[in-house]
Amino acid sequence: MAPRILICDDAIFMRTMISDILTGGGYEVLGEAESGLQAVERYKALAPDLVTMDIVMPDMGGIDAVKAIIAHDPNAKILMCSAMGQQQLVVEAIQAGAKDFVVKPFQPARVLEAVKNLLGT
Amino acid sequence: MTELHRPRYVALFAAESRSLLALGRRTTELWRAERDDPGAGVELFRILHTLKGMAAALSFEELAGRVHEVETALGEVRDGTRPADLAWFRVIERELDTLATMCEVLIAAETGGGDAPAAPDSVQTDSEAIVRVEQGRLDALVADLGSLVTARQELERHAVGNIAPVARAAMSMARRLDAVQDRILQVRLAPLGEVLDRIPPMVRDLARQLGKEVTVEVQGEALEVDRGILSTLPDPLMHLLRNAVDHGLESPEVRRRAGKRLAGRISINARRERDSILLELSDDGAGIERERIAERERAAGRLDPGAMLSDDGLLAVLARPGFSTAEQVTDVSGRGVGLDVVLSRLHQVGASLSLTTVAGRGTAFTIRLPLRLGIVRALVTALGDERYVLPIAQVAELVAWQAEAAVRVDGRLMLTVREESLPVLDLRRLLLHRGAPPPSHRPVVVLEANGQRIALLADRVLGQVEAVVQPVDRLQGMPRWMVGAAILDDGHPAMMLDLASVV
Repeated sequence: MAPRILICDDAIFMRTMISDILTGGGYEVLGEAESGLQAVERYKALAPDLVTMDIVMPDMGGIDAVKAIIAHDPNAKILMCSAMGQQQLVVEAIQAGAKDFVVKPFQPARVLEAVKNLLGT
Repeated sequence: MTELHRPRYVALFAAESRSLLALGRRTTELWRAERDDPGAGVELFRILHTLKGMAAALSFEELAGRVHEVETALGEVRDGTRPADLAWFRVIERELDTLATMCEVLIAAETGGGDAPAAPDSVQTDSEAIVRVEQGRLDALVADLGSLVTARQELERHAVGNIAPVARAAMSMARRLDAVQDRILQVRLAPLGEVLDRIPPMVRDLARQLGKEVTVEVQGEALEVDRGILSTLPDPLMHLLRNAVDHGLESPEVRRRAGKRLAGRISINARRERDSILLELSDDGAGIERERIAERERAAGRLDPGAMLSDDGLLAVLARPGFSTAEQVTDVSGRGVGLDVVLSRLHQVGASLSLTTVAGRGTAFTIRLPLRLGIVRALVTALGDERYVLPIAQVAELVAWQAEAAVRVDGRLMLTVREESLPVLDLRRLLLHRGAPPPSHRPVVVLEANGQRIALLADRVLGQVEAVVQPVDRLQGMPRWMVGAAILDDGHPAMMLDLASVV
């Protein structure tokens, strides 16, 4: 069965783009969330194999969402999606338990490689 | 990103950038009112950040760079290196307007001037399950529905006065089909806000270029219309608004002398009226120079000496192809399409336009939009074997042809109907019909559009139908008033005629 992924980003544009990249790479997009709060709820409800997480979102940002998800499931695999110039925030996310990061604008190959590494497939 | 997907991403960018920038504007206004609210700054930052991300993904480098500069200005306030004073807010608001204009220019360049293709779902972030549907699939569904409606009408025709079970089944199917038709057409509805929300920044940006001040108000953006109608609106609206800012609104200096507020006011007000939506665009500018235009018409012999121009008459003059009153051709509205093009765009979707203008007080254009596109109640007329349908909304009445009521005035045949003298238009002549000679008794259809009436002479009138009108591929030389094609319940094809421009 294809690994199932939850996409968290406040922009439909970005969710569509990530979703296209992942489904193109043979992964299943299990669901989408558009805020940190929704990301935590959907993680608990759907138990995905991996989460992509935007950093700047309304109603709880990505870093707080990482903390909440890791508190619920210490083995959660979270891939941060950051923009240029957010190194400080990426470091914070990794300390909170995120496993890796990709930088926008996305290079499909780089995203797929990071996902593959995280899932150990 | 693969280039294959690009049009889809551009469509998403169009929808999302517009709603983000409208939200940015509202957030800034709230922030200015509540300056201690730290949440507004954070929210604005998030909005800009999202916009920048999309711009970068589409390689809109200039836009991404500009957003970054605004982010930097925002950062200075966040870090406390600069106070968020009124001057600063003005800069931010101007920047948001500039960003909106940049977005629209980029979108237009990618979509060839039309609106974004296959507009995806409206960008609502309350999380009701939203399904994305391509417009083309929806159009196909509506076309299928059209043939079902036709089949239903045929069934009904056979079932009339018949109490057999088959007839009852036919009636029950008809009722259900009505419900399905309603639901499918509802799927195509979208809020006017998708178009109206992006207007204020563009109007303000335009006013700045022309050294004018303006406040823009929008009301009724939650009203919904068919997407097909919505997508034809941006060009006509921008044309009318450009004219309002360029020719309608006076310069601050002139306004001051006239005792008006320095900033001109433009309001866009949408409201529901029966089966239509009225979209009123008004400005509090100088009004249209009715007397000067009337003088020109009189000089050209198109208006009787001493006659005045009514609002409708004025609109008819303004909408004449190639008409221009601008003494000076400005960069903004001196070129491009005229009001005649605006009118024909609106007519294509069954909308009409009216005008009111008062010297020194301002001008209002009212666009009457149908709520729905596609299914039109129409009158079927015939010339020999050919069928032509006319939108029922334009039909004022049917009268019998009476030779004694017709007189020739200046070579033009006029018919007196209820004490009003109407120009006669013979459908045979209009369509260059060469067939068997016309029947001796021909019905007259009185058509009314834009406040004008004409008497249309047909061979026969066959009754009313709900016609499902499909757009036609426009052949060269085909007149603009042939607006679509329909298949009637007896299988006859028919052309839909919108004679509003002929009236």
